[in-house]
Amino acid sequence: MSDRRSLLLLVGGAALTVYAVAFAGSYGHDVLTRAGIYAIAAIGYQLVFGRLGALSLAQGCFFGLGAYAAALTALDLGFGFPFTVIAGTALPVLLAALIAIPVLRLASHYFALATLGIAQLTLLAAINWTEVTGGANGLFGIPQISIAGLQIGFGLPLTAFVWTCVAVSLWISHRLTAGRRSLAVETLRAAPSAAAALGIDGAAIRFRFFLASAGFGGFAGALQAHAVGVVSPDVLSFHILVLLLAMTVIGGRDSPLGAVLGALLLVHLPEWFRDFADYYLVAYGAALLGAIIFLPNGLAGLLPERRTPRSEAKLPAPHPRRDAALSVEHVTKHFGGVAALDDVSISVAPGEIVGLIGPNGSGKTTLVNLISGIEKPGSGRIHFGNEDLTGRSPERIARTGIVRTFQHPQIAPGLTLGDSLEAVGPCDTEALLARVGLGERAGDLAGSLPPAAQKRLEIARALATGASLLALDEPAAGMNDIERADLAQLLKALAAEGHAILLVDHAMDFLLPLADRVVCLSAGRIVAEGTPKEIVQDPRAIRAYFGESPL
Amino acid sequence: MTSLALAQILLNGLALGAAYALIALGFVIVINAVGAVNFAQGELVMAGGFAAIAIAPLVGDAAGLPGLLLLPLVMLLMGGLGVGFAHLAYFPLRKRPRVAVFVSTIAIGLVLQHLANAVFGAAPRVGPPLIAGDGPVVGGLTLSLQQLGVLGSAALLVSATGLFLGRTQTGRRMRAVAQDPEMAAAIGIRPARMITLSFALAVALAGAAGLLLSNQFFVSPNDGGLFMLKAYIAVTIGGWGRLDGAVLGALLIGLFETLVAAFTSYLVAEALLYGVLLAMLAFRPSGLLPERARTRV
Amino acid sequence: MFLKKTAIALAAILAAAGAARAETVPVLVPITGFLSLEGTSQRNGAVMAIDKLGAAEGLETEVTDTGTTPEGAVTALRRALAGEPSAAISSMLGTQMLAMIPIADRAGVPLLTVSGTAKITELGSANVFRFFPGDSVVKVAQARYAVEKLGAKRPALLYQTTAYGQSGAAHLKKILSGLGAPLVFEEAVDISVKDMLPVLTRMQAADPDILLLHLHSGSTALVIRQARESGNMLPVVAGSAMHQPTTAALLEASQLKGVCAESASSPISEAAGPVADFTAEYRERFGIEPDAFALAQYDGAAMLVAAKAAGAKSAAEVRDWLAANSFDGLAMTYKSDGTGNMAHDAVVVCYDGKSRVPAIASRYENVDGSN
Repeated sequence: MSDRRSLLLLVGGAALTVYAVAFAGSYGHDVLTRAGIYAIAAIGYQLVFGRLGALSLAQGCFFGLGAYAAALTALDLGFGFPFTVIAGTALPVLLAALIAIPVLRLASHYFALATLGIAQLTLLAAINWTEVTGGANGLFGIPQISIAGLQIGFGLPLTAFVWTCVAVSLWISHRLTAGRRSLAVETLRAAPSAAAALGIDGAAIRFRFFLASAGFGGFAGALQAHAVGVVSPDVLSFHILVLLLAMTVIGGRDSPLGAVLGALLLVHLPEWFRDFADYYLVAYGAALLGAIIFLPNGLAGLLPERRTPRSEAKLPAPHPRRDAALSVEHVTKHFGGVAALDDVSISVAPGEIVGLIGPNGSGKTTLVNLISGIEKPGSGRIHFGNEDLTGRSPERIARTGIVRTFQHPQIAPGLTLGDSLEAVGPCDTEALLARVGLGERAGDLAGSLPPAAQKRLEIARALATGASLLALDEPAAGMNDIERADLAQLLKALAAEGHAILLVDHAMDFLLPLADRVVCLSAGRIVAEGTPKEIVQDPRAIRAYFGESPL
Repeated sequence: MTSLALAQILLNGLALGAAYALIALGFVIVINAVGAVNFAQGELVMAGGFAAIAIAPLVGDAAGLPGLLLLPLVMLLMGGLGVGFAHLAYFPLRKRPRVAVFVSTIAIGLVLQHLANAVFGAAPRVGPPLIAGDGPVVGGLTLSLQQLGVLGSAALLVSATGLFLGRTQTGRRMRAVAQDPEMAAAIGIRPARMITLSFALAVALAGAAGLLLSNQFFVSPNDGGLFMLKAYIAVTIGGWGRLDGAVLGALLIGLFETLVAAFTSYLVAEALLYGVLLAMLAFRPSGLLPERARTRV
Repeated sequence: MFLKKTAIALAAILAAAGAARAETVPVLVPITGFLSLEGTSQRNGAVMAIDKLGAAEGLETEVTDTGTTPEGAVTALRRALAGEPSAAISSMLGTQMLAMIPIADRAGVPLLTVSGTAKITELGSANVFRFFPGDSVVKVAQARYAVEKLGAKRPALLYQTTAYGQSGAAHLKKILSGLGAPLVFEEAVDISVKDMLPVLTRMQAADPDILLLHLHSGSTALVIRQARESGNMLPVVAGSAMHQPTTAALLEASQLKGVCAESASSPISEAAGPVADFTAEYRERFGIEPDAFALAQYDGAAMLVAAKAAGAKSAAEVRDWLAANSFDGLAMTYKSDGTGNMAHDAVVVCYDGKSRVPAIASRYENVDGSN
């Protein structure tokens, strides 16, 4: 880590230390302490909002709950410092664990609303449960922090203590997201369905990060209780959340360091504007607007690029390829009374390429969704070898060796091609990219690829998991003739190595020469099945397929 | 409780819900246009109230006109503010992740709130009445003209917005841009203009709500947060991105709050609102009505 | 010789500059957030007193917003302490005072406030000076007026879910029980509640004979307006928010018929004399009507000036002077009861239904809240 970024951070950190020790008075220390406390809560928020992209509106609630827990254990139970902070951290984590299961499965804004509801209920409890919380007056007289009899006084000692906690929090956050993990998390954020299909355990990551964010929030709140000495319902109010959100975005949401910089800036800004008297918060709002407009990548974006860290950790080898056949038996799927699939059976053996054709809306993608576990069949079974996959989660299905690609490529645009593959498992990225015709581009961003190349990246990524069966949803769409020929070559080679391939495509001239067998779906039923030669002569297939959209 | 008192309470809840509906409608129009939550919506309502108070002496009082005539003026003024709002909060950030727009709207909300505090002072103010005087008495129920004015104006504005977006060429273009900006651009619609128009409409509706609420419920610089919360909840329970859902959600919230408070207490009403919300999300995790907005990152 | 002369001259200049250097009195009050109305009054009163009376003592003010969070107050106080002031005007928000008191105690700097929260003078701090009668005084006035003057037997109470509201409600309940008129109905009202009809309707079922309010300005006006509009003509004795001219401005004069309010004073009610002069000057300077908070903080700052004029220089001297002496302010005579409570008088003002300016209906002097 001897690059310019580290140097700059070192200089910045040193300048801050010199300022704190030599120049900041009691007031300067107070502001720095507040910035440090919010930085810790923002580091937590960065995990769930920045990394996972989940708009949690409960971070302020975790912060306030931590403050109340620390205050109550200190005042009512007479706990000393380390235990108050442990209580302050534990209570929000406990709440997060309790609500995680129902809440984390909700999609974006419903998740936001659920977390908001919980935060508002907590606030109501703090105001109205006066016997315990002291009501709107709150709790006062919370003692200062002391460790082993040594009191950490206000001013420089407290500032130094809080910023040591910030450093530790940064380190923990870094551990949670280091190396390959961060790539998996980025894939989860940018392409959640692909992450599931690639075997990344999204539920576990979300659970862990949500609990971690609650822990950081509560820890910060507990520090706040000791630093201010008073806890009132104000610590639970919505504006704390808004402040943390702004800190995370202004700081640069993919970086915990950004959260720290955001906290430093946002806590200091209004103080700098004090001279504007009645208008100082107007100036603060305007500066906030300026910051978001003129800092496209946040404060962290002003720092020189970090060198991509190569993961050195030994990672488990990919699953060895299994010579297992997929068999789908009599599956049925209804959407609101309409049968998308009706009694469909299909099998794919190792080394075999099975083509799946049918007009739009005939159920091709639904079948792929059932096989990959994104949707559950209404009835019927799905086996892979002798393992029953029916009803399993996409992650577990992916880990048995079935990996799909998507009709609309699901990639993480902010990752390089190399990192996109590393995100799913340790592999020889250069060789895999070369196989799909993307050699030499390992360092490019996935988002910069044209759609057709993104589809090839998806195939490489599927191979990186060590998949045995590939379910490819229209892989040739948007490709020119040369690219198609290359892709056909690749698929043949993969089949020859023993991969089972289920190929969904519209383009007959691409699919027919490639497939060993073809299955034709129409309105959710199999209307024809056989070798490509048999299919082109099958009147039912012709009616179902060519009849509707003649080539 | 007498049925008469109950009727009066219901009417109050309906009037409050109708004003919330305008706020939620503006909120959802911005969501559909640019896919982002406008955190300043509440402050814009407050700004509408203060705008009405500021221009009332210049227009209504001087000429002896009823406050109802202020409504188009306030909406026009706020619509203009909406154009500026779009150019500050959205266009500089249109190529950036949507969360950037969250923060830009938060920032503008802060500016509006504290500007109002500095310019108009901290005291709550009473807005101009729409129609002064007592209204008709229907079956023993005294209907204040003001309340009828609020209900009528809100109903009119909600239907006019629905008709505008659904039936007119411009409205259809706005929806086309909302659904697929690239496709819309390809068939000759200028997305930037339609997005500006969406913001203008959303802010004008917020301003209208501000005027409608300002007389009966006063206006103070710190009111914004409350309205923002109510709009957010209304839009989510009504099905993210649905105009009809937003209106339905807002009316339900208004009635729910008032009725539950009438039979229990404000504390129970508020706790129950969030409790029901959580229960609804647990059992029906995608809102009352199916959502219609395009998916976004 | 020359050097010596120069040195003497320099010393003289420095001494003169030192004497002329103004001392800054920090004014740490909430001018943003839900208490900004009251905080602004506090600021105006303090600034006016220091500008007018303190200039002679070399005093000037520096206003710092505390917002409504305890941490905001702590930061503001630490910022102010950097200038080593001998006293500070401080927030009327109780939770902010509770956060500031330990810091002020450590620095030994007296805090002059108008906060009504009972607890701030119960902590044993020598540095708290409260120039507005606390809940234990004004709530006695409110309850006694309702029971003794208006003959209330079945009072109903609506109070705010803020620190101000909860603390006052607790006092009222205790005092009313003592007066033999316990509450027949009570409810906490959040500051964001707009529609008061539900609670007014429910309250009717309890058949109260008087409505007591302990709410902030906006909520007070909403309750009275909606009560009157729905035909509820119950007499109202409100908290001090009602006496604020900005609250009355939200209502029609006719809606104010039968409405009274407790307060420390009512600056706009005095037709002549020093308070009327204060009111005129305040109106002139700030363009708004003064309330009792402004007057109380004016008196508080004036007492600080008096301490300075009496020769108190350091923070310790100022504190001791404030603790030991009595001061004739515009609103009343202030004298510490030993715990920092300086104000012991309250008034009840009533509106006649014709004007928005109330008249003082009853005075309660030297109220001892412990009864």
